Formats: sequence, structure tokens, C-alpha cells
Amino acid sequence: MSLLSAVRVVVLVGAVFAAAPTAYAQISAQRLALCAACHGADGNSQIKGIPSLAAQPKLFLETQLVLIREGVRDIPSMKGMLNGVSDAEVTALAKYYADKPLAPVPTDRDAEVFARGGKLAEGMRCGICHLPTYLGREQIPRLAGQREDYLLLSMQQFKNNQAIGRDSNMAASVYGVSDQDLQDISYYLARLTPATTATGQ
Amino acid sequence: MKNYLRAISGLGLALAFGMSAQAQTAAPAAAPAAAPPPAWKQGMPESMAKSTLAPLPGKLVATKAADVPIDKIKLPPGFKVEVWADSIPGGRAITEGENGKYYVGTRALGRIYEITDNGKERTSRVLVDKLQQPTAAYKDGSLYVVAIDKVLRFDGIAKNPNPTPVDITANFKFPPLPHHNWKYVAFGPDGKLYVPFGAPCNICVEPTTEYSQIRRYNPDGTGMEVLATGVRNSVGFDWHPVTKELWFSNHGRDWMGDDTPNDTMHRLKLKANYGFPYCHEGKIPDPDVKKANACAGVEPPVALMGPHAATMGVKFYSGDMFPAEYKNVLFNARKGSWNRTKKIGYDVVMVRADADGKNAKVEPFMTGFLNEADQSWWGRPAYLHQMKDGSLLVSDEQNGVIYRVTYKK
Repeated sequence: MSLLSAVRVVVLVGAVFAAAPTAYAQISAQRLALCAACHGADGNSQIKGIPSLAAQPKLFLETQLVLIREGVRDIPSMKGMLNGVSDAEVTALAKYYADKPLAPVPTDRDAEVFARGGKLAEGMRCGICHLPTYLGREQIPRLAGQREDYLLLSMQQFKNNQAIGRDSNMAASVYGVSDQDLQDISYYLARLTPATTATGQ
Repeated sequence: MKNYLRAISGLGLALAFGMSAQAQTAAPAAAPAAAPPPAWKQGMPESMAKSTLAPLPGKLVATKAADVPIDKIKLPPGFKVEVWADSIPGGRAITEGENGKYYVGTRALGRIYEITDNGKERTSRVLVDKLQQPTAAYKDGSLYVVAIDKVLRFDGIAKNPNPTPVDITANFKFPPLPHHNWKYVAFGPDGKLYVPFGAPCNICVEPTTEYSQIRRYNPDGTGMEVLATGVRNSVGFDWHPVTKELWFSNHGRDWMGDDTPNDTMHRLKLKANYGFPYCHEGKIPDPDVKKANACAGVEPPVALMGPHAATMGVKFYSGDMFPAEYKNVLFNARKGSWNRTKKIGYDVVMVRADADGKNAKVEPFMTGFLNEADQSWWGRPAYLHQMKDGSLLVSDEQNGVIYRVTYKK
């Protein structure tokens, strides 16, 4: 999607969201439209390389929104977009997207790649922090059902020291892991839903 | 960064993943290059592979005083607590300037707050932001802001609220790795700036000798001296009011079980070795990083502060407001454990000891942040500051507020 078409979506979605639900009264309609332009109106991104926000832990969203607003986490395409957004609105936005249901995960599945990715993720102990279900918790993001291209991009950023301002505990987790392995892990995680993970939360 | 990781990767892998797990994850065709685990996870044994213990979440948005459940805080009889400052997310160490100004740093948020106390109420502003885990110290009219990779001096800040900072980073020659390298800094009775450098891992042989130390510098960054080595991660210290010796807190390693080793409190003996990575508590050889006679010549602690308790800010009480028996007592904030199945800490304790460090006893002072029964917690005391009137400020990093503890007969 080009920037121009993203702007058109802003206008369209702005109309749809003109009346924000009262639970999220602190959120301005324009802000929601701006988020929706890239992350999807329901928080399920339709754009390559852009993460879905739906069903992420609220605290994870809140923390990242603050770090991006402060310029500590540097996302060039979001630079300045959160300037002046109050803490209360950040919290409301986090809750808004945390409450949105995740869209169905891709149904195509290469059993061999899926299995290999699962084994890699287990061996790398992703589940210690992200939980064995990969649903995430508190400040730790949900991996299950996230966009495959974004999972890969994000892990590559950590691997290449480009995840500035993000969790330094995560930073060393993927150093030296081959791109093929990261691809397989992404393939696996993107196709996981709570129903298909072995253990409950 | 890369070189360091290569240096420790062999060790880290053997320690944290174990060779069997590594073999399992290796692709048949393209085996991944050696991937060290994150620094905090190094040393995790196979037996804990299914553990879900992980560092606890912080909170980066403002909390109002009215939303702090202050009635839950417990203190000895006669003591009172109030929320003295609020809405400073991530606020950590407190340093006092002039004319009712206080400076409070943060970690993730990258801010230094300036709090102004007019005697009745407090207002705050962000003095500087976008820094890497900054903290502050104050001397002779200048505020020193110390981040992981930067030292900025704000001259004459009492008169000019927005001085252009002088960058004196180069003089200090800080090591680059960020893990365990947030620094507590303070000026000593000798006018020198004391700066600790944590180990960049949970447990490892350090990639270079610049880590696991306590140093002091002239205020301009010249005249560096290494005062102590083998200090894993000290994030709090103060000088004994009588002996003028430096006493410092130190975090013990993780992934060695619920009860081993303890965090520790130490006296600084010039050029002494405090054991890391080979020896903990002055007497426990490390099971992963081994050498013969691991504890020989290692300076033992004054007091054991609890395993994984996260012993933070240290303050000897020298005021007149608290009862006489509190004179020269060491207060210590314990931010609370994550690497332990049953939580401990989340409090401020007192260490009563002889001036030479003997006969130390650790007793609770400020509690109520942790619910033992259901293991829930709502606050994490981190740093302490004694005000001129003898009251005690306690920062709660979780809620981004500062409490003031007072005493009245």
C-alpha cells in the first residue's frame, strides 16, 4: 500500500470511527484512524511488515507506545505521530487493541516447515518469556498469530542490532541464528492460534 | 558487541542451552552460528528449561497519587507515609540540588525529571530525555547526568533552569555493553564521583576487565581509580556516617535456585576482590564458571540481603527526626525478586551493624507492597534519600512516585 492510499484509508476510517466507544473515550477519532491506516481498523494488519496489534497484551502495547512517543524506540515511519499523546490516551489505545480479537491465522500449512519452526522455537526457549503458548504476557508480546513477515522482520532487527530502544533482554536471543531458521520460526508462530498450541495459558 | 558475543558465546551456550538442546535446534544443512542467550539468561541449567520466570514488567505511564494504595504500606509505630511526588514514571535514584530542586533518573524511559518542592507541594518537569538509562548527581551548583554512554554536566542549574549541557563523556571511558550498566552514581566525602560498572551478563567471565568494578573519578572524569573488582552488579551505596567507609549493595546471580546465592551488602576495602564470577557471598563457588580456590582472598559480605531480592538504594540514617535507635542504621530498598518461585523483597529493610560491619541484622522497615498469600505485588521500592528535616524519601519505580516517611512521637 502506498502512503497516498494509506492517507485515503485514514479519511475513510476516520468517518467510521467518528464515534469512539465510551470505554475508550480518551482516544481521539483521528488518532484511531491514523493507527488503523496501517495496523488495520480492527488491529489486524493487512500490510506487509506492519504488525497486528489485536490481542496483544495491553501492557506490551502501552510500553511500546510510550517508547515510540519518547523517541527511545525509533520507528522512522511513526516518527512524530505520537507527539503530545497523553499517558491516559496511550493506555486507552493499548486497551482498545488488546481487546480486539485476532483475525484467523493463515490456513496453508507446510507440515514439515511448521514442525521445524516449532522445534526451533522450543529449542531457543522462546516460551520461557513468551509462554509455551506464545500468547505473551504483560510487557512481553504475543507471537502466536502475528504476521509472518513482521515476525521475521522483527527478529532480523534484533539480530542485526537494529532494535534500538527495545528490550535488551531480547536483543541477544537471536544473534547468530540463520535467516532460514528465523523464517521457519516465523512461519510456525504466524500459524499458531490458542487452539493449535499444545499447552494452555 | 559482536566480538564480545563471540568471546562468551561458547561459554554461554554450554551454560544456558546445553549441548543437547543445541544439537536439537541445529538445522541439518545450515547450522546456526553460535547464538548466546540473552545476558540475563546465561547460566540457566537444563533443569530450569521449562521455567517461566522472567524479568517483571515495568510501567511507563504516569500514576496519580490518588491511585496509589498507600494504606497498604506498613511501617513501625510512630512512622507515617505520604505520596510526596507522583506522575514521574520509572523514577529511580533521587539526588538533591538547591532551592528545593530534586533530580530523578529513569531506565527505559530515558528521562531525568526535575522535581520542585515549594514546601507544600511538588511540581515536576522533564529536564532532559532520550538518554540511555540516565541517572544524576549534584555537586557545587552543577548537575551531572550519567547515562550508559554519556556524561552531561549542567552548570549553574540553580540559577539558569535550562543551561546548555557540557558533554564530558570522553573523559570517563565507559565500557559499551548496556546490560547491568545502568549506574548509581554519587559524590563521596572526598569530592570524587563514585561509579559502579556491572557485569554484562548473569554469569560469565567478563569480555574485558572494565566490568564488575567500582571506580571513582574526579568530577571532570580524570583521575580514574578502580576501587573494587569482582562486584557483579552494585546499584546502591552510601558512606558510613562515622567511619566514612563506603558500603554498597550487590545483586547475586540468577538461575542457581530459589535460595542461592543471596544478594549482599558490603564494605568497600580498597582494591579488594568481591568474588564475581567465581565466588558468591564470599564462600559459594560458582557451579558454572569454575576455578581452583574460587573463594580464596574474596572479601565476605557484611550482610546477606536475600536471594534474588534485588537490593537497591542504600542510605545510612543520620537525621534527627527518627528515634535515636535509628541513628547510623543502614536503610536498603529491595525492589523484589523475579528469579524465584516465591517472591521476596518489595520492601525497605534496615541493616543494624557495628561500625566495622560485624553483628549485622536485617529487619523489615517499610512493607506491604507484596501480598505473600497470593504472590501479587503493587509497588517496588528502589531508592532512598534523606531530606534536610530528617524525613526519608523512597522512590517506587513501578508506580513512578516518591513516598516521604516521617516520624512523630
